[in-house]
Amino acid sequence: MPPLPDPKGVFLNIPYDQEFFSLYVAYVVGLCQLDLVPHLASEIPGGDRRLTRIFKLIQGCRYSIHDLSRVEVSVAPTAVPRFNMPLELGMTITWQKLHPSRHDWFVWESEPYRIQRSASDLNGTDPYIHDGTVEGVLREVRNAFSRNSAPTVPQMFDVYRFVNSNFDAILSRNGTRNPFDRSVFMELCRLSNDLAGPFRQSKPANKP
Amino acid sequence: MRKPIHITAPWSTPEEVKKRYPVSKASEKAIQLLVEEFKAQLSRQNESASTSIEPEKRRKRASAA
Repeated sequence: MPPLPDPKGVFLNIPYDQEFFSLYVAYVVGLCQLDLVPHLASEIPGGDRRLTRIFKLIQGCRYSIHDLSRVEVSVAPTAVPRFNMPLELGMTITWQKLHPSRHDWFVWESEPYRIQRSASDLNGTDPYIHDGTVEGVLREVRNAFSRNSAPTVPQMFDVYRFVNSNFDAILSRNGTRNPFDRSVFMELCRLSNDLAGPFRQSKPANKP
Repeated sequence: MRKPIHITAPWSTPEEVKKRYPVSKASEKAIQLLVEEFKAQLSRQNESASTSIEPEKRRKRASAA
């Protein structure tokens, strides 16, 4: 049996491509603002095959977000449907069915009711609809998770804009153009978390 | 209506965050500067918001009197 999952860990099952970039940043900023710990498959180095690494990550996280908004066939010449996200969702559902107290998963979509056509076996699952926008992702992060003294959605959006305007510098500091690179991801998480500080209202001290 | 998951784990300390997200020294320094810049930006926004509200407050007070 693997060790207990990180109670703040969130496995992010999202497409790794340029078109998803702004939503990826929104997910990371939103989760870090709530002091949750996002995890990407790309962050684990090592010799294990990719599927094994992904399964270990899922097991290590208390929560997972599965964004099925990009399951459509791409317009590229070699157009193929994107199966990775549904595959990882299936692995997660199995893990959660076997160990219900260790994991909760959420499905996210950009359009309401589409999931009933793309994955009708998920009927009865209430997806979070982000409308394909940054604001939508931040709003749904706050709808999915709550905590005392957490920043509001407009405050999260302020942080998103600031991070986004500095993203090129993050890439160049880490010597890459890949926004999903491990070092870029680490810096993105760290910056998003540190920028949340001014918005986290400190609790009043307990009176003796 | 779905109920959100309420996170009860305590907020991480700055030390925990540093350990969780290791970055290079250059990035460490840059992040510090960016956080300062962001705080300054927020405080400028708050100042300008409060000054733009002042005339409105004055007008309301005058009309109430």
